[in-house]
Amino acid sequence: MKIDTMFRHAREAFKSLKRNTWMTFAAVSAVAVTLLIFGFFLVFAFNINYLSKELDQQVAIRASIVPGASADDIEQLQKQIEQNPEVKSVTFIPKAQGLQQLKAQLGEDSKILEGLEGEENPLPDTLVIVPQNPQRIEELANKVKAHNLIEHEDHGDGVTDKLLDFSSLVRNVVLVFGLGLAVLAAFLISNTIKLTIFARRREIEIMRLVGASNWFIRWPFFIEGAFIGMLGAVFPVIIVLAFYKAALNVLTDGSQYSFIKMLPMMPLSLYVAALTTFLGVLIGIWGSVISIRRFLRV
Amino acid sequence: MRKVIAVIEMHDVWKVYPNGVEALRGIDVRIDQGEFCYVVGPSGAGKSTFIKLMYREEKPSSGVILINGVNVKRVRDWKIPYLRRKIGVVFQDYKLLPHLTAYENVAFAMEAIEAPRRKIRSRVQEVLELVGLADRMNALPSQLSGGEQQRVSIARAIVNNPGFLIADEPTGNLDPENSWDIMYLLEEINARGTTVVMATHNKEIVNTMRKRVIAIENGVIVRDEDQGEYGYED
Repeated sequence: MKIDTMFRHAREAFKSLKRNTWMTFAAVSAVAVTLLIFGFFLVFAFNINYLSKELDQQVAIRASIVPGASADDIEQLQKQIEQNPEVKSVTFIPKAQGLQQLKAQLGEDSKILEGLEGEENPLPDTLVIVPQNPQRIEELANKVKAHNLIEHEDHGDGVTDKLLDFSSLVRNVVLVFGLGLAVLAAFLISNTIKLTIFARRREIEIMRLVGASNWFIRWPFFIEGAFIGMLGAVFPVIIVLAFYKAALNVLTDGSQYSFIKMLPMMPLSLYVAALTTFLGVLIGIWGSVISIRRFLRV
Repeated sequence: MRKVIAVIEMHDVWKVYPNGVEALRGIDVRIDQGEFCYVVGPSGAGKSTFIKLMYREEKPSSGVILINGVNVKRVRDWKIPYLRRKIGVVFQDYKLLPHLTAYENVAFAMEAIEAPRRKIRSRVQEVLELVGLADRMNALPSQLSGGEQQRVSIARAIVNNPGFLIADEPTGNLDPENSWDIMYLLEEINARGTTVVMATHNKEIVNTMRKRVIAIENGVIVRDEDQGEYGYED
């Protein structure tokens, strides 16, 4: 297409947006409200996703080895478990190291462990087994337990399961809800475009009569829809990111190592801005497609 | 001898609307290049449908229509615009864009088919001179008389050199003096080689400026004569 023509389409689109200021304002607001909700869900979804990945990494079977097993036996057992394709990694933690870790976790309260070093250490030697697929940890745990060198096994007693279930549920809810909102916004935009098409129906009629191609007629409306979508994305992005920054400060004191795990501002802000704008433009164009089809019958 | 090409050919064309009305019932007609032809008949006889079939605003229910030798049924929807570029249409109510000047209204038709800007300026000037409105080209439609508005609409219809001009009651809203101006203009356009088909209710014009007359009644062509007469009393 000629550059000249493209400029003309853009000019027509902006003229029409300006001419119908109030309708433009209404459509942009409708998109903004939708995208605002979408934006909040987006940061939520990103964080849930992040959290569940973190959880996945923490999902592991802690298998304690019967006391008195020889180092050779343990090494052999470790190799045997590693060969299972369901297993991602196996780490051997001797009881002395286990005690150190426990002390570190307890921090100031570690005093109660004093005097338990060396021969008095009540902890067993442990194998930490990380599964390939956290969802199938139960199966793997049963296999590991069956081994006669394993005295006891612990994989979180279903707590991790429930967390995983919850996070995938949230993800699905977000997806369905987001989709519904997008459809709603597209229809709101399509109504706006319909009004501007209505205002320009004589122009379209004449364009059709003198033989303008369908694309020539469509372009200004596409640009109009896309621009409404883009404009509608600006405020939601700003608001969502401002809220997220505040939440980040309050909940984590701005530190990455706090109890509550949250994604840092960067690159999350870029993702949110890009995705929200993209969705805005998409529903804008979609809205204009819906409304212009009827007017273009040949 | 030069071969005469048919601009419009219709063979056994029927048009039945979804509500069951049979607007046209078996139309056979041929209009050759360079002809000037009136379409007459009572209101509701099928004139409008007949005209609309010619620029593919309506599709026939059955039968074959050839426009410039092309079977309309075989033309894909997205190619219809290119078919229309060879046809100019003028209406009773002018259909001008009120917020554009006379010049812009005519230029609009060239912009719509993406003509180069330099060409637009000279060509629009040229047709506005042809219709006698070169000095009024910066006026808005609301500042022009009915006759002048219709001349702008004719300029717009011929600016892309269509070769075939369809006029649906072009003098319907005009007083006799302006009507005659329009008729002389159409005759001149015809004299330059453009085929003209004009639906009309104007008895005086048809009986004075003698041309071929096609009369339609109840969806059927009842009369088709060269140098014909209007033949009705309304």
